[in-house]
Amino acid sequence: MAGEKKQGLQLLDFWVSPFGQRCRIALDEKGLSYEYLEQDLANKSELLLRANPVHKKIPVLLHAGRPVCESLIIVQYLDEAFPATPALLPAGDPYARAQARFWADYVDKKLYDCGTRLWKLKGDGHAQARTEMVEILRTLEGALGEGRFFGGEAFGFVDVALVPFTSWFLTYERFGDLSVEKECPKLAAWAKRCAERPSVAKNLYPPEKVYEFICGLKKRFGIE
Amino acid sequence: MEKKSSENATPPAAAPLKLFGSWASSYTHRVQLALRLKGLEFEYVEEDLGNKSDELLRHNPVHKKVPVLVHGGRALPESVIILQYLDDAWPETRPLLPADAFDRALARFWCHFADDKLGPAVGAVFASTGEDQEAAVRQVHENLALLEAELRDGAFRGRRFFGGDEVGLLDVVLGCGSYWLAVFEDVTGVRLVDADAFPRFNAWLRDFEALDEVRETIPSVDRLLEYARGLRHMLLGLAGANAAAPSADAPTTAAAAPTAAAADIAVDI
Repeated sequence: MAGEKKQGLQLLDFWVSPFGQRCRIALDEKGLSYEYLEQDLANKSELLLRANPVHKKIPVLLHAGRPVCESLIIVQYLDEAFPATPALLPAGDPYARAQARFWADYVDKKLYDCGTRLWKLKGDGHAQARTEMVEILRTLEGALGEGRFFGGEAFGFVDVALVPFTSWFLTYERFGDLSVEKECPKLAAWAKRCAERPSVAKNLYPPEKVYEFICGLKKRFGIE
Repeated sequence: MEKKSSENATPPAAAPLKLFGSWASSYTHRVQLALRLKGLEFEYVEEDLGNKSDELLRHNPVHKKVPVLVHGGRALPESVIILQYLDDAWPETRPLLPADAFDRALARFWCHFADDKLGPAVGAVFASTGEDQEAAVRQVHENLALLEAELRDGAFRGRRFFGGDEVGLLDVVLGCGSYWLAVFEDVTGVRLVDADAFPRFNAWLRDFEALDEVRETIPSVDRLLEYARGLRHMLLGLAGANAAAPSADAPTTAAAAPTAAAADIAVDI
């Protein structure tokens, strides 16, 4: 398509990756066309290995052939390389930008890892993960405060960082025997609000599909 | 007095700066160095990490760690976030990040590498012995080799510093931490930064450490050595206590537990 060639954007990604979804959502929010290239992570392509030799991971954004790696770095890059598109990091407010980076970093440091322990572990490890998950979700709800979105009125950087994980809430709920609605009603409401955005609706998979994927992983790795 | 501003507005540039840190924390050094490079005056508060102040905990309730920079009453935790804030709030003064979007992405990528891969690998060398340590050393060498390659014929080829002719964000992040390499070599007896294997990395580190602002920031080698010896002694004691518990990822866990304890109490390398 003319759009992709002109902007030269390609995304190396894996369908269920919440990190990849951040990039897809950001690209759509900015109205940027790109070529989506699904990667086989069990059999990594030459393209992926050349684009991300250090980590060999997705997502990788290729812009006129030059690779940008790591989802949050990609999102910031899109803000900076395409300044005429809607900004995801709040423009012109250094403290607000720092806060946005902080909460996106918090999601990276805490959520995925805790979620993984929740579906992988049993016994004490599992109990610990469940307690932590509730704390993480409550902390995020605290950061949301009374705003429609994490940045206030506008859908932004932290929303992009966190929203893919809303498809994982069902998985966390089932493996953690918890209810996001009950523990964090404001966060649950935020998730519903985000789901109404075309960029989010288009790029997230139904929670049942994510749950199915995790169950498949568990079987494959022989985790009971 | 300043005009009353909204809860979350950025303080005016002239508002006072107060840094909470720990003398042996390389994350703290990053911020001190950056403030000096930008010529910014600040008040420094030394925190006892074994007995954190109420003020620190108020300013960083989520992670409860140093460094925290407080600017006009607004708290900023996490060193790499603080450094980017300094660029955003003082854009005219000695920028730490390059101007080009792609170069900025590269700088951020390698900063993340420093904190996610290199730092923990060096920490693992320091906190382990025997086979675990050998594996950790190999990891450090692999990581240094990647940086050496970028300096030799990759993104940073031909440059004196990662930032170019002058130090930038990545120099500050990598540099404040790399001095531990020589200290740990001395304390553990393990060779980490071979000048023959990593000539450009070595040259960069020598140039970095020779800068006035860096010399003002990094504690004396004697102090660092004494500190590291005490820490190593304590970590090996903890590692002994953890040795009995097997797990699916035993090597990382054994190294991670003392490193985690170390990170909380003292050296965030």
